[in-house]
Amino acid sequence: MDNNQTTLSNPTNNPEEITHKDVSKAYLRWHFANEIPHSFERYLAPSLLWAMMPVLRKLYKDDDKLRDAYERQLLFFNTQLTWGGGIITGLMSSMEQERAKQENEHKEITMTDDLMYNTKAGLMGALAGIGDSIDSGTIQYIFIAIAIPWAQNGNPLGSLFPFIGFALYQVLIGLFFARQGFSTGRNATSLMESAGVQNAIELLSILGLFMMGILAGNYVQVSSSLSFEISGRPFVLQETLDSIVPGLLPLVVVLGVYYYYSKKGLKVTRALLWLTGILIVLAAVGIL
Amino acid sequence: METLTVWQSLIIALWVGAVMSRSFLGGATLMLRFSPLMTGLVVGIVMGNVADAMIVTAAIQLIYMGVFSPGGTMPSEPSIAAAIAVPVALLGNLQPEAAIAIAVPVGLLGTYLYQFRFFINTFLGKRTDRAVAQLDHSGITRSVIIYPTIASLLLFVPLVFIALFWGAPVIADVIAALEGTVILHILEVVGGGLAAIGIATTIYVIGRKEYIVFFLAAYFMSVIFQDLGVTMVTYAIIGTLIAAIFVLAKSNTSAATTTNTPVTNEFDDDEDDDDF
Repeated sequence: MDNNQTTLSNPTNNPEEITHKDVSKAYLRWHFANEIPHSFERYLAPSLLWAMMPVLRKLYKDDDKLRDAYERQLLFFNTQLTWGGGIITGLMSSMEQERAKQENEHKEITMTDDLMYNTKAGLMGALAGIGDSIDSGTIQYIFIAIAIPWAQNGNPLGSLFPFIGFALYQVLIGLFFARQGFSTGRNATSLMESAGVQNAIELLSILGLFMMGILAGNYVQVSSSLSFEISGRPFVLQETLDSIVPGLLPLVVVLGVYYYYSKKGLKVTRALLWLTGILIVLAAVGIL
Repeated sequence: METLTVWQSLIIALWVGAVMSRSFLGGATLMLRFSPLMTGLVVGIVMGNVADAMIVTAAIQLIYMGVFSPGGTMPSEPSIAAAIAVPVALLGNLQPEAAIAIAVPVGLLGTYLYQFRFFINTFLGKRTDRAVAQLDHSGITRSVIIYPTIASLLLFVPLVFIALFWGAPVIADVIAALEGTVILHILEVVGGGLAAIGIATTIYVIGRKEYIVFFLAAYFMSVIFQDLGVTMVTYAIIGTLIAAIFVLAKSNTSAATTTNTPVTNEFDDDEDDDDF
C-alpha cells in the first residue's frame, strides 16, 4: 500500500496527457468488466471504476486526489454496454482530465463532483434505452435471423456467424462511441441532441420496428387447427382466416402482448406466463 | 436410456458458468447469454452430435426471438435453458418441439440464479470500498473481476452439473413418455407463439408509438412474400432504405417550415433536458 505523503503537491506530478489510446484502453476494460461485478447496490459502477483506473492513475499523482477520483467513479452507475458505456467512458476521461488540470494549476474547480455525476446520470438512462433497443433488440436479432435457417439445417455456422458478427460489431461501435465521447467532451450532452444523432436514432428506431415486423411474420407461428363440418361441407377456420387477412393470428398475439405492456407496464415475465397459459389452454381444447 | 458422462456434464456446466459469470470474453457474453445458439453448439460438440444439436437449438431460439434485457429484466435465461434442454432432447431422441417443454421452465428458474449473483456481488462490493480506501489497485481488480467470477462459477457450475448428470436422463424419460400425446401438440403451439413476447417487448422499448406503422408494413410484407424466399439481409436493406427515405423527407419538410437553424455543439451548462 502506497501511503507516501511526501508525494503531496510535488510540482513534477503534473497530470499526464490522455491520448486516444488511453481512451480505447479504458473502453476495452469497460467492455470486458461490464457485467462481471453487477450488484443490486451499485449495478455496474465497479466496472466503470475498473475501466477508468489507468486513466485516473495518469491524471492524479496524489494519493488523496486519486482516491477521490476513484470514489467519484464508483457511484451508482447502470447503462448499456456500447452506446452508454462507450460515450460515458470517453466523456469521463475528458472530464477527469479537465478536473485534474484545474486541481494541478490550483484554479477554481468548475468541473465539480456534482457536474460530473449529473452529466453521467443524465446520459446513462437515455443512452441505455437507445442502446438496448438498437444493439440487443435490433442488430443482435438481425444477425440471429440471418443464421436461423442454417441452424435449422444442422449447420454450426448458424451459431458461429451471429456470435462472431455481433461481438465484433459491439467492440467496434463501443470504441467509436468512446472516442466520440472523449473528443466532444462535455458537449456530448448536446451531441445527443444534434440533428445528425437524432436522425440516426430515428432511422435506427424505424429499422428496429421494421425488422420486428419481419421477425414476427417469419417466426411467430400461431394458427388454428379448428375444423368441423357444416352441413356436410368441411369448414377449416385457418383457411377462412387466410382468405380474409393472411397472418392475422400471429399479429393479434404480438399486438396483444404490446397492449398488455401499454396497460400494465413492462412486465415481461408475467406476460410470458400469461401467454404460455393461454396458448396451453387454446391448444388443449383444439382451437389452436 | 443413455446418460451423460461426468466429463460431458462438467464441460457443459463450466461453459454455462463462464457465460453466466460474464467474464469469459466480457461484453461478448451478451449474445452467449441472450441466445441459446452458442450453448447449443457447445453441447453438440461435447455430445458428438452437432447437426442434431443445432436443429434442437434452432427450435429453442425461436421461442427467445427478440428477447433481450431492457433495464435488466430478463424473462428467461436462454443459455441455461439450452444447456439442459439440448442434452435431454439428444439423449431421449426427442422432437425439437419437446425440447421447448424443458427449456421454458429451466429458463425461468435460471433468472433466479442470475438474480442471486447480484446478491452475492453486493457483498463483494464492500471489498471494493475497502480496496479503494486503501488505494490497493490489485485489491480493486480482485474484488471487481476475480471474486465475482469465482462466485458465479461456484454458483452455476455445481447446479448445472447436478441437473445434467443426474437430472437429464430422468427428464428425458419423462418427456419421451409424452410423445404422441396431445402434450406435444401443445408444446408446438407454445413454441410457435412465445416469440411474440420478445418482439412485443422490443416494440415497447423502442417506444415510438407513432411509428408502429413500420412494424405493420413489414409484418404484412413478410407474410405476403413468405414463399419468395426473401433473405433477412434483403429485408434489412429494404428496412434501412425505407427508414432513410422517411428521415430525409421529414428533415426536408422541417427545414422548409422552420428556418432551419444549424445545430451547433455549443458549450452550455444545461444538463437537465434529457427527459427520460
